[in-house]
Amino acid sequence: MASVMKRSLAELIGTFILVFFGTGAAIITLMISKGQTPPNSFNIGIGALGGLGDWLAIGLAFGLAITACIYAFGKISGCHINPAVTLALWAVKKFPSRDVAPYILAQVIGATLASFTLAFILGMGAVNTGGLGATAPFAGIGYVQAILAEAIGTFILMLAIMGVAVDREAPPGFAGLIIGLTVAGVITTLGNITGASINPARTFGPYLGDLLLGGSNLWIYFPIYLIGPIAGAIMAAFLYNYLSEETG
Amino acid sequence: MKCYICAEEGKSTDAVAMCIVCGMGLCMDHAIRHETELWTGGYPFPAEKIEETLPRILCKYCAMALKKGKPKGD
Repeated sequence: MASVMKRSLAELIGTFILVFFGTGAAIITLMISKGQTPPNSFNIGIGALGGLGDWLAIGLAFGLAITACIYAFGKISGCHINPAVTLALWAVKKFPSRDVAPYILAQVIGATLASFTLAFILGMGAVNTGGLGATAPFAGIGYVQAILAEAIGTFILMLAIMGVAVDREAPPGFAGLIIGLTVAGVITTLGNITGASINPARTFGPYLGDLLLGGSNLWIYFPIYLIGPIAGAIMAAFLYNYLSEETG
Repeated sequence: MKCYICAEEGKSTDAVAMCIVCGMGLCMDHAIRHETELWTGGYPFPAEKIEETLPRILCKYCAMALKKGKPKGD
């Protein structure tokens, strides 16, 4: 097994790629639609040009980046690139406690570096117009509802990971593709509800970037993207273990 | 079964193994034991090389072809 240093570096790079391509797609969509008049307060610009197709495109940017990372780094670090996934695997005793902190630290650093890189490449428009792709509940979505939506989204992601990768009976080779497409599907639906983070690191990077570069301060919403994804992922891991034990 | 390579050299030696690739009979002198690495894990767990290896018996021709066919760096 690679050293924890190498595995953490793989997690850092993987999360960087995830946030760079995923939130990059969201930022660019907002920059392209700037000047359009959204038809209602539920529409912030993403969806102004292509409806739900905008969210599908963003979802695929996230999903295909995840697919590439899983095939590239899956054997090295396990390619969690999501603190909720790391904590859920730890909760069901599939991941050692000593590696949890270095993995999460690496994921958070990778996400933050990606947000600052996007701001450097795209300029201040990425912060002022694109908000660095930060997530926040949409108009009419309350705090509790947002936590529930994030929990459900991460629940299906973790369920897919358990079924297609953790389960010894899973057919080999498909995990990267299926998990990438699952994320794309989740983002297509949850995108216009909570921003579809389903990953605390993915929200942390843009939040910190926005705060330090003069954008919006959205930290009041951060517990949504901490509690929802972690609770959803842990519940999915335990439920999968319970159900698969029942079926033998 | 006789050793094919010994037969090529005009000798007659009993085979003790077969090449797993081409099926050639091989005596103890001409059988090449190749140890294949085994790994456990992989997404979403780090892959880990395990101590045990999987032995494969090869003839000199298949062993050479296997060596040439490996990706660079292996």
